[in-house]
Amino acid sequence: MRNSISPGRDSAARRSARDIAIAVRNASVEFGEGEDAVVALSDVTIDFNAGDFVTIIGPSGCGKSTLLRLVADLVPPSSGSVEVFGKSPEEARLAREFAFVFQDATLLPWRSALDNVRLPLEIGGGGALEQQAAPDELLRLVRLDGRENALPHELSGGMRQRVSIARALVCRPKILLMDEPFGALDEITRDNLNQELLRIWRETGTTILFVTHSIPEAAFLGRRTLVLSSHPGRVLDYFAIDLPDDRRLAIRDSIEFVEVTGRLRKLLEKAA
Amino acid sequence: MSARAASGRTGRWKERLPAVAAAAGLVLAWHLLVVLLEIPQFIAPGPLDVAATFVERGPILWRNFWPTFFEAVAGFALGNSIAIILAVVFVHSRLAERAFYPIAVFVNTIPILAIAPILVLLLGNGYAPKIVIAALICFFPTLVNMVRGLNAISPQLGELMRVLSASQREILFKVRLQASLPYLFAALKIASTTCVIGAIVGEWIGSNYGLGSLIIEATYNFRSPLLYATVFLGAGLAVMFFTITALVERLVLRWPTAAQ
Repeated sequence: MRNSISPGRDSAARRSARDIAIAVRNASVEFGEGEDAVVALSDVTIDFNAGDFVTIIGPSGCGKSTLLRLVADLVPPSSGSVEVFGKSPEEARLAREFAFVFQDATLLPWRSALDNVRLPLEIGGGGALEQQAAPDELLRLVRLDGRENALPHELSGGMRQRVSIARALVCRPKILLMDEPFGALDEITRDNLNQELLRIWRETGTTILFVTHSIPEAAFLGRRTLVLSSHPGRVLDYFAIDLPDDRRLAIRDSIEFVEVTGRLRKLLEKAA
Repeated sequence: MSARAASGRTGRWKERLPAVAAAAGLVLAWHLLVVLLEIPQFIAPGPLDVAATFVERGPILWRNFWPTFFEAVAGFALGNSIAIILAVVFVHSRLAERAFYPIAVFVNTIPILAIAPILVLLLGNGYAPKIVIAALICFFPTLVNMVRGLNAISPQLGELMRVLSASQREILFKVRLQASLPYLFAALKIASTTCVIGAIVGEWIGSNYGLGSLIIEATYNFRSPLLYATVFLGAGLAVMFFTITALVERLVLRWPTAAQ
């Protein structure tokens, strides 16, 4: 009915509602109680837009991981609220709106690469979901076709992390939460996976929240970057990175890139 | 290719050679000691006497081998099954763990030799008390290892399961049981030899069959070669169980594990 009265306004409203993937409102997270309580996040209010690639950076103890875990329903807010596409984190988790990629690939060592990718479809009602991707196609997407039957210990660290990214994508999540996924890899592998991740992001249109403590990584991957300060974790800055969308590694030698990393470095000095 | 396989085989032989040579040396030393010191046969028979007994007294040895074999296998299956089921219950219920773990520890502290007569009184002279003793001796190491193994999942894997909204049942069947396998096999290898000890100890008390009963009979009658042959047969049984368990482990655990 409302459609017929003011179709333009309604579609605009719906569009803007859809545009915000994650809305964090005055969220605080405290661990422990009483005098021993540690404030991990303090009064954070922020919106993450759908389809965006946001890198999150900050000194250790700034609550970067806590912010991801808050969105992923792994940590409850002590106060404030979080909405994921208008749902509570729990509802979003049950609907598989998001997937999580950890620093460690966390593969099941007794399962082949393909069976690891398939895992989310076998548990938690994943098999009943409409939004399923073909596990073998995902392995092709992360360039691991031909290694479907390899066990995790037969793969390199970078390949294991590719499997874990494929696993995260198998329920076609709208949001990918990545907690320092390449932090344990060597630099060459990391550069390589950074480019691959940008390609996957462009091909799937997934919203990505990517926690890192590498300034070049934050600048290279992010369309926007969120800088948090520590003790307690607060939003220090949240800005768009003005670099061309089609990024190659060589961009890191450009003056524009160095300006971005310089700005980030200054912010981080202030944040510590 | 065949050349490579052959060199692999000789390589393995080279690896085993020290163990074979040491064992042969010990048997030779045993033989020389008995002969040179002129030790009477009823005190310590030589290796040749024991070997002769295996041939001459073969029927009586094998007749008593099979009951012990059966009791050990049944006790192994019973004790480990109960331990595995109880471990699964403990992992899912803190209350059950708090209530029954101390009792399990208490039962484990009672010497098996002290329990044996009680079980004979309760269960009679048949297979039952021997199986229960073999089961009891397997039970505790498997329970402890299995509880550890079921809990041996990393915090990150726990978080992954939560993000995937996995139920406890799914976590048990998709993750915990597989993660526990290295710990379970460590325990089963212990149990594979102790279950034979349990069966033999059970046969010491009020039994007229089995390797345990044969040990008692041979000792009282000073039939030392028969005693030694029986002991070797019992040890052989334990080694066989251990080897089978280790082989199954190698077939099942195809991924590298921290517990190995």
